[in-house]
Amino acid sequence: MADTPFHLFGIRHHGPGCARSLLRALETLQPDCILVEGPPDGEAALPLLTAPGMTPPVALLIYNPENAGEAVFYPFATFSPEWNALQYGLAQAIPTRFMDLPITHQFALRQMDQEAVPETEPPVHTAADAEGTEGQTYSDPLDWLGRAAGYEDGESWWNHMVEERGDSLELFAAIREAMSSVRQEAPPRRLNAAEARREDLREAHMRRCMRQAQKEGFSRIAVICGAWHISALAELPTAKADNDLLKGLPKTRVEATWVPWSYRNLSYASGYGAGVRAPGWYEHLWQSADGSRGIQWLARAAALFREEGLDCSSAHIIEASRLADTLAALHERPQAGLEELFEALRSVVCMGEDTPLRLIEQRLIVGERLGSTPENAPAVPLARDLAAQQKSLRLKPEALRKTLDLDLRQANDLARSHLLHRLVLLDIDWGRLSRTGRSTKGSFHEIWELQWEPELALKVIEASRWGNSVAEAATALTVDKARNAQALAVLSELVDKVLLADLSAAMAAVTQALDSMAAVISDVSQILAAIPALAKVARYGNVRQTDTALVEHLLQTLVPRAAIGLPGACSALDDDAAGQMRDTITAAHQALRLLQADGIVDIWHAALTQLAQSPQCHSLLGGLASRLLFDAQHAALDETALRMSLALSTGNDPAPAAAWLEGFLNKSGMVLLHDNQLWSLVDDWLSSLSAEHFDHELPLLRRAFSAFTPPERRQLGERAQSPATPARAATGSDWDARRATLPVPLLHQLLGIPT
Amino acid sequence: MTQTLRQHAEQQFAEELEALQKADTRERPENWAMSPWAVANYLLGCKLDNGFEISPKYIGSRRIIETAVATLATDRALLLFGVPGTAKSWVSEHLAAAISGDSTMLIQGTAGTSEEQLRYGWNYAQLLSKGPSRDALVPSPLMRAMELGKTARVEELTRIPADVQDTLITILSEKSLPVPELGIEAQAVRGFNVIATANNRDKGINELSSALKRRFNTVILPVPANEAEEVAIVTKRVGELGRALQLPGEPPALAEVRRVVQIFRELRNGQTEDGKTRLKSPSSTLSTAEAISVLNSGMAMAGHFGDGVLRASDVAASLVGAIIKDPVQDAVVWREYQETVMKERSDWKDLYRACRDQE
Repeated sequence: MADTPFHLFGIRHHGPGCARSLLRALETLQPDCILVEGPPDGEAALPLLTAPGMTPPVALLIYNPENAGEAVFYPFATFSPEWNALQYGLAQAIPTRFMDLPITHQFALRQMDQEAVPETEPPVHTAADAEGTEGQTYSDPLDWLGRAAGYEDGESWWNHMVEERGDSLELFAAIREAMSSVRQEAPPRRLNAAEARREDLREAHMRRCMRQAQKEGFSRIAVICGAWHISALAELPTAKADNDLLKGLPKTRVEATWVPWSYRNLSYASGYGAGVRAPGWYEHLWQSADGSRGIQWLARAAALFREEGLDCSSAHIIEASRLADTLAALHERPQAGLEELFEALRSVVCMGEDTPLRLIEQRLIVGERLGSTPENAPAVPLARDLAAQQKSLRLKPEALRKTLDLDLRQANDLARSHLLHRLVLLDIDWGRLSRTGRSTKGSFHEIWELQWEPELALKVIEASRWGNSVAEAATALTVDKARNAQALAVLSELVDKVLLADLSAAMAAVTQALDSMAAVISDVSQILAAIPALAKVARYGNVRQTDTALVEHLLQTLVPRAAIGLPGACSALDDDAAGQMRDTITAAHQALRLLQADGIVDIWHAALTQLAQSPQCHSLLGGLASRLLFDAQHAALDETALRMSLALSTGNDPAPAAAWLEGFLNKSGMVLLHDNQLWSLVDDWLSSLSAEHFDHELPLLRRAFSAFTPPERRQLGERAQSPATPARAATGSDWDARRATLPVPLLHQLLGIPT
Repeated sequence: MTQTLRQHAEQQFAEELEALQKADTRERPENWAMSPWAVANYLLGCKLDNGFEISPKYIGSRRIIETAVATLATDRALLLFGVPGTAKSWVSEHLAAAISGDSTMLIQGTAGTSEEQLRYGWNYAQLLSKGPSRDALVPSPLMRAMELGKTARVEELTRIPADVQDTLITILSEKSLPVPELGIEAQAVRGFNVIATANNRDKGINELSSALKRRFNTVILPVPANEAEEVAIVTKRVGELGRALQLPGEPPALAEVRRVVQIFRELRNGQTEDGKTRLKSPSSTLSTAEAISVLNSGMAMAGHFGDGVLRASDVAASLVGAIIKDPVQDAVVWREYQETVMKERSDWKDLYRACRDQE
């Protein structure tokens, strides 16, 4: 390579071993120009790297200011080779450039692809779109190499071969050779045409940047890129071919900024394609001295174990370290790696159990570090959008907890409520709705507890992968939740939340998911449980000026489904299940009564009638249905009396009869006080019970009556004391007045009253 | 065929051990018969460079065996934990056989294990005639292992009463066993180590004190991770046992093994393998070891009373015995399983009928 000015360094993103070797190599080489695989659009933000207040992990964010949904994150950690190369370049004040295909083209190309193939799904915003796809194509060849060498996967092989070993300058030649042969031998990657074209364009652009640098007269150019691309950059074909390829690429407006990043977002688990499994471990590798690496790490683990209240003495660590070293020897490795250390901890400290390890795994392996950016760095679009809304709605984030009373009839308060509800959906718990205040003040009041905590800044970033404005992110997240929801009740609650947050865009997706789940679900009680939330929405939607047509339509399909299944669901229940079902039915009934939608209510009443008449149904629910129908004036008094006498007839078992009565009374005795016929039916039934049966039923009845209010019970008692009175009043018209007057003179005489 | 009912591991696999020792060029810890690397290969099976095939003794995760061997190489005591029937004693026997060439220094832990059994006893005739002397001392297997630099095994450690367990603490930390009566002490020679096994089902009987726990590295032997693994274990062991016990039947067909393993797995996990149906689990452990014994007795049945080929009816009899440990609850579970799962599987009709005939 002596005759070319280019020195290629194939690295792995976020590899500490690579970073260390790279720094050594750069110091030896003393380059006069550094080209790094990264978006040239972000070059303007590079000077901020050395600004005070910049601590990794941070990410370079490139986004389209017009359509905030289009955004790409390039995360950097302190152990990332790119980060170190950039720092080196800036410190030495040599030209340091990014050489990847500019994001401005990539966005525009993607738009073209999407227009060509219209997607049915709404765009999903992933944290690392560009990096993500690359990560996949990039990790596969590593897996091949790893497996060929007898490792579990590519990452452990790479860790052992590159990241965990001492510095070695031949490293890059070796990487280059390995990757070139993999690239030649590997079966063609499964990329679609657009992805393949993008790969070609990217490599063409990298070559063009290299030629440009050469033309400018630099003689020692360090080129730092993902190991996969090395062989494509080793030979520079004629400039013409690349220029043809890159000619006339479309453009979009983009902006670049730095955002704080966290190790959690850097790990695989966050869905970041080029992520690493153990950022915490990598940081440890980067910082720790070579020889005592394992012991330091075990000491950290011990501290974490102690924090969790688990015994972990120095003796434990000594033994763990010995075991890890022996394991490493058994695996023929010069030093214990993550795998061996973990194994040793499991065996020595955790008694072979995995559970205690999980307690500390997150903190130990992934790490909790959160980066920070200089104050003058621009913020994430979502944070910016949030800040703008906070300003316009006059809601200042404060660390002190305070209470906010919103009157939803006022436009500003309504908008505030929408914002807070959206943030709740996004899991940014700035405000908590306190429910107590709400019920007393009617449906147009909301009382919130507001408290801004610093961690929320991170949650905003996390949420920013869903979208770049609050409304957009909340919509995308809700759609995703609706797709993955498992229970109907979750979905119906989601509907409620979506309406509260005024996310009309998400409404269709959520209701659709709800509808299709209701279609396949066989558990009627779940459907019934979903009804109150929906009915509430349909009823109070107007206050919030939201469109409730969708929900009403949904109720039109849900209620008949519930009604059809209701009699079946109420038969063959035991007492506990019947009790639960009673609450569910009551809640649904109350919700539907509020709704006052005729079509639905008729179907519901028909189902209740069936329930009241069905002999298979649990008598508690039969009684409840009779009562609900009676209250709704859907069943006449005669009909109800007939049902009661049927249920309480002497031929019946007393236990179901008592259950029926409990269901019928439904925690209120007023109906008995005001209706003589029903009163006498109950009275007759009670008197007809045998002594033994009466003893048996007494606890049941007592339970039924205990739910009544004290005045009700008193009135019932008073009435029961004079049982004849009502009966006489009711039959008064049948008296023969002529015969009744006959004894009057005698009575006069007896009482000594003058006529 | 020898007259011995069951040979020790070092006898049964003498050829393999010898071949491995010959091929083994790596560094050996002092008094070890072979290097840790070779020990791991002896347990997990491999093919030597000269084409000699080492059969696997333990089918399962490599990291478990490696951790166990590495533990012993650091002269830390090893505690093998696991539910009954997960090959704890099996692994411990083979580890001892490979490391020391001798798996017989064994102490069986019971509720009646006394301190003498762990340390040393006296030959009373000698004691009375000659007084306390080295000749009158009867060393325990543990003491012999210390003096010879070999591996001692303690089975069912948690069944030993707590005060007796604590005898091990000094031995494990000081690596010496004082004999105050004679004013001497037995100091462990390099190569001495202890492998204990314990059942984590009855942790509560005599749980290890934390002082003792700290002196062991623990390795948990899990139940087989997947069906294929379990089928492999059962097939292999049934074949070997049949040979060793001179069972007359043909080695069972893979299909029958797979069926028994599937029944065991499904009942143990409380759901069918396709994940569609939930099941009740019986109170029995349903370990792999039990699956092996079910097939063994099935083979004996087939050989002595049938036509030598293992059929559903031969398996059915011992299946019931293995699954139903609690006559009331387990019978319901088993009956439910037959009616809801076995009956539905068209190719299981014979087994279903055979099980119904049992009742």
